[in-house]
Amino acid sequence: MNRDEIYDLAAGYALGTLDLEDRERFEVLLNARDADAATALREFQGTMTDLAAEGSVAPSPGIKAALMARIDAEGRARDAVVRTPETKRSERARWPLWSMVLTGAMAAGIAAIAVGLAVSTAYDRRLAQLQQEAVAIKEELNRQQAIMALLQDPATRFVSLGALEPAGGATARMVWHKTTGGLLVVRGMPPTPAGKAYELWAIPPGGSPIPAGVFTVDARGTASLRVSPVAAGTEVETFAVTLEPASGVLAPTGAMYLAGKL
Amino acid sequence: MPAAGPLPDSPSALIARIAQRDREAFSRFYDAFAGLALGLIRRILRDPAAAEEVLQEVFWQVWQEAERYDPKRGSPEAWLVMRAKTRAIDKLRAIRRREKTFVAPVDESVTRSDEATGENPGVAAEARGLVRSALDSLPEAQRRVVELAFFDGLTQSEIARKLGEPLGTIKTRARLGLERLRAVMRREGQGAR
Repeated sequence: MNRDEIYDLAAGYALGTLDLEDRERFEVLLNARDADAATALREFQGTMTDLAAEGSVAPSPGIKAALMARIDAEGRARDAVVRTPETKRSERARWPLWSMVLTGAMAAGIAAIAVGLAVSTAYDRRLAQLQQEAVAIKEELNRQQAIMALLQDPATRFVSLGALEPAGGATARMVWHKTTGGLLVVRGMPPTPAGKAYELWAIPPGGSPIPAGVFTVDARGTASLRVSPVAAGTEVETFAVTLEPASGVLAPTGAMYLAGKL
Repeated sequence: MPAAGPLPDSPSALIARIAQRDREAFSRFYDAFAGLALGLIRRILRDPAAAEEVLQEVFWQVWQEAERYDPKRGSPEAWLVMRAKTRAIDKLRAIRRREKTFVAPVDESVTRSDEATGENPGVAAEARGLVRSALDSLPEAQRRVVELAFFDGLTQSEIARKLGEPLGTIKTRARLGLERLRAVMRREGQGAR
């Protein structure tokens, strides 16, 4: 491997962007104490550290306090598990030999069980956490696939909903497919008042508004809403959003915030 | 006679003591480098509250895993910076998954389809001073690679795919970019002194 290749690898290693194979190649060099590899890595890591240091920000004092408290708590927990048999040793010194052996064996057994339980509990907790993450990732994947399918379908329509007076500078888009439903995305909406929610309406030409779902917005006025398809044979001409009681209503009663035609 | 080895308060010595569960060493290491780590995390996340949460995770990891630190693979500062970067990018991806799972693809491709979508808005908005000026001094192609690598956490293969360039080109740009950054930061650092 020539010097340029080594420096290429060192740059990627310092940036943390090497693919597995390249990372392993470079670590072979580091383990072999290759002088070029070590020099290049030191130079590039120094640059990255300098880059990071230029934007230093003082953390809130509470962060350190919380960490030190966590360390202390961990120390106490470890002491409780590991040191209990230790503290009993001086008392045992006065006991007959057979009693010491028996008690020692029991103490070791108890300690082993305690450590085993602690480890087992930790693993169980981690396993449960990983299972939750796996479920969340699967759900996310399903949602992403549904969105991709919706976006790729030639029958999908895209609608801009204009902001009416109460909505200020809000913007909204609807992605709509008449047989699979759609997705409404809003930005910059006013905060949802307590006890209220925004309600989406699908309005057929010349027909009555059909309730299509209620939603609230986050602190940035952003929200998304999955919308079910309307009954087969019903065409939708307009989408509108009004402010309604939080449970939603069957016919609009409140002020209209957004509206747009297909 | 003084013992050979790192000075008692050097970063390497502190890491070695942390590995022995030395609370005081941890406290000193935190005081020395928490600001550095937080600055980087904030540049990646752009959310001060989330950044402090990540900072706490990073330093807890330092406490838990100090014994794994291998001096052959770089300085303790570089080790910390890499952990901070990795955790910040993990967090950024988790936030994007949680908050924008349903919004992001449509949010960007539909809601903003008629707006200019600048890449790396966080970096553009947040980085300042010497960092910004050093990054800005890079040729565009090198700067893109460094930013995608360091602030977005993409691998070189991912960057190559994203930019439609050969992998070898990306590797070389990363190296040239870092070499140039180093030269600029040295020059400006000396100028500041």
